Amino acid sequence: MILEFKNIHKSFGDKKVLKDVSFTAESGKAFGLLGRNGAGKTTSIRILMNVFPADSGQVLLDGKPIDYKKVGLGYLPEERGLYPKKQIMEQLVYFAELKGMGRRAAADSVDRWLERLGMREYRTKRLDTLSKGNQQKIQLITALAHDPDIVILDEPFSGLDPVNAMLLKDVVKEQIAKGKIVLFSSHQMSYIEEFCDSIAVIHEGKVALSGDLRDIKRNYVRDRLVVRAADPQPIRADFGAACTEGGDGALILQMRDPAEKQTVMKRLVEQYDIDGVKVFEPSLNDIFVEYAGEQA
Amino acid sequence: MKQFGKILKFELNGYLKNKIFVGVTLFLVLAIAIVIFFPNLKEFLRSDGGAEEGNQRPVMLVYTEDGDLASTLREAFEAAFDGYYDVQTAEGTVDDVKRMVIGGSAECAFALEGISAYTYYVNNLSMYDGNTAVAEAVLQELCRADAMAQAGLTPGQAEKILSVAVEGNTETLGKDQNETVLYTYIMILVLYMAIILYGQMVAIKVAAEKDSRAMEVLITSAKPASMMFGKVLASCLAGLMQLAVIFGAALVLYRVNQSAWGGSDLMESIFDIPVGLLGYMLMFFVLGFLIYAFLFGAVGSAASKTEDTNTSILPLEFLILASFFVVNFSITGGGNINSTLMKICSFVPFSSPMAMFTRICMSEVPGYEIAISVAILIGSVVGVGFLAAKIYRVGVLLYGTAPKIGEVVKVAWKA
Repeated sequence: MILEFKNIHKSFGDKKVLKDVSFTAESGKAFGLLGRNGAGKTTSIRILMNVFPADSGQVLLDGKPIDYKKVGLGYLPEERGLYPKKQIMEQLVYFAELKGMGRRAAADSVDRWLERLGMREYRTKRLDTLSKGNQQKIQLITALAHDPDIVILDEPFSGLDPVNAMLLKDVVKEQIAKGKIVLFSSHQMSYIEEFCDSIAVIHEGKVALSGDLRDIKRNYVRDRLVVRAADPQPIRADFGAACTEGGDGALILQMRDPAEKQTVMKRLVEQYDIDGVKVFEPSLNDIFVEYAGEQA
Repeated sequence: MKQFGKILKFELNGYLKNKIFVGVTLFLVLAIAIVIFFPNLKEFLRSDGGAEEGNQRPVMLVYTEDGDLASTLREAFEAAFDGYYDVQTAEGTVDDVKRMVIGGSAECAFALEGISAYTYYVNNLSMYDGNTAVAEAVLQELCRADAMAQAGLTPGQAEKILSVAVEGNTETLGKDQNETVLYTYIMILVLYMAIILYGQMVAIKVAAEKDSRAMEVLITSAKPASMMFGKVLASCLAGLMQLAVIFGAALVLYRVNQSAWGGSDLMESIFDIPVGLLGYMLMFFVLGFLIYAFLFGAVGSAASKTEDTNTSILPLEFLILASFFVVNFSITGGGNINSTLMKICSFVPFSSPMAMFTRICMSEVPGYEIAISVAILIGSVVGVGFLAAKIYRVGVLLYGTAPKIGEVVKVAWKA
């Protein structure tokens, strides 16, 4: 299955929230939807979930508009919350039924998921008696119990301890392996790098960057060097504004042109007492900051 | 449709499993049982109290300085206050009488100067004290008899003149408001209470779902119209079930204990509602309930927090309160239930459930007027229902400062 977001526009009143947003996600792969707060990620997700329609543009599945009666969507919203005073089993079965499952099938599936996430003992408890992490696991079941074709996870790891984060990672990997389209939205770039094959960075309602994550990294302009030196002071003095702190004691040197790489490296080795020099490999975090930061 | 059924079932279960809901229903049934078995309880207490009962009647003193008059007055007062007071003749002075009233050995006293002037002494004057009116009637009769005796009539002739009876019949060609007023009033009061209580519940439930963010999952799982109609109809069904239990229990208990009431007109007029009117009652109750419940749901969806709901629903509560007052004053203030205001109100969908029902119960309303009123009401319920669902879809996703209702309606209209 291929999910396409094609030239989507959406305004609320006079405010244009999405401006010609397009991206593509494939089944069996995870897709990272990135953006700062208020960039338009949740609006995109709600259009995909058919909560409200786009002003223009299309959401296509395998080239055709999504048939919401046939295609199952599972959603773990960033704003978590279920019925605090209701029994866990009762509300999970209700949500699975709302997604089109029969009562028996819903109860069986919820039971399996409670077992899988180690939550079986809580099935008759009220939600508000659970810890935050456990509540989050219950919320995850609402997104997955009906075995959806498209799984949308908005900040799935926030608030989870390392053990539960590991459990969730396994669940996400399972979903990807099952051939689902997994849409991931998170500010924790390490998780995106770990799971996502492709990404889209939305900035102020527009897609600032999209594509295969490896290609994005490979095509990233290699015009910076990372330098480690016992005494960085002379390098700072000589390179001036082109030299910035890279964290962890390293310096980042900005070159005018990637072709200068050999010349600059040679100069560094010959003129200074350096411990090491290499071409700067950007992390997803660096790419995100560049495309969605203040100066983007 | 399938989703709507599931939402309706879930929401209805929520009401029926709610301990407060069940508790209030049982409490009301118990309260009604106590009222209906009141005559038996009174009888039981009386038979238990036995001989003391006679002594427990409060004492009324009759005081006059004219010794000959004292026994006549006591007899006349005793006949007039029979069963309510133990009428006794007071000795001594007026001050002694006052002391007895203040001291509590008598509840009240009449100090008479002849038979045409009196002073009534009572410790705390109740709002409903009618003793002076009774005493005046007694004294007027004594005065008339006295005047007739002085004019030369014998006591027998005087009594005959004073007890002339006029024979009269009233034939009600339309409806007798004395018979219909009670159940009409009970129905509009019940509708008013149900709208306020259940409407509030609908609004708070929606606002709580938004506040707890359960809405984030709900709105992506079900259509807003299904959500709104499911919630509102569930509350309507829960309300009807509660009322059916309460009134059903009242009816059964009354039938069981009917003999103890000895065919009380009051009770008969409550329980003897014509079947046709019951049908109107059910129809206006359901439609009136729905139109308000949809609005309450929409307002709840636009509230930013559960605790803001009470303020947000105030305009709706004023609307229902105004309708209730118009109808209430029309019934109690002279019974002019076909005034122009009532006629207008019986076509306005927010007041017609009460106003038109009252007019149907208490007067003759042409069939076409009823049909027009019901048609407007049904159309409005459907229209308000869909508008509420649209407001709901827009409202539930707006967090932060509560939006102005005008803006929400505008956005919802376009959506």
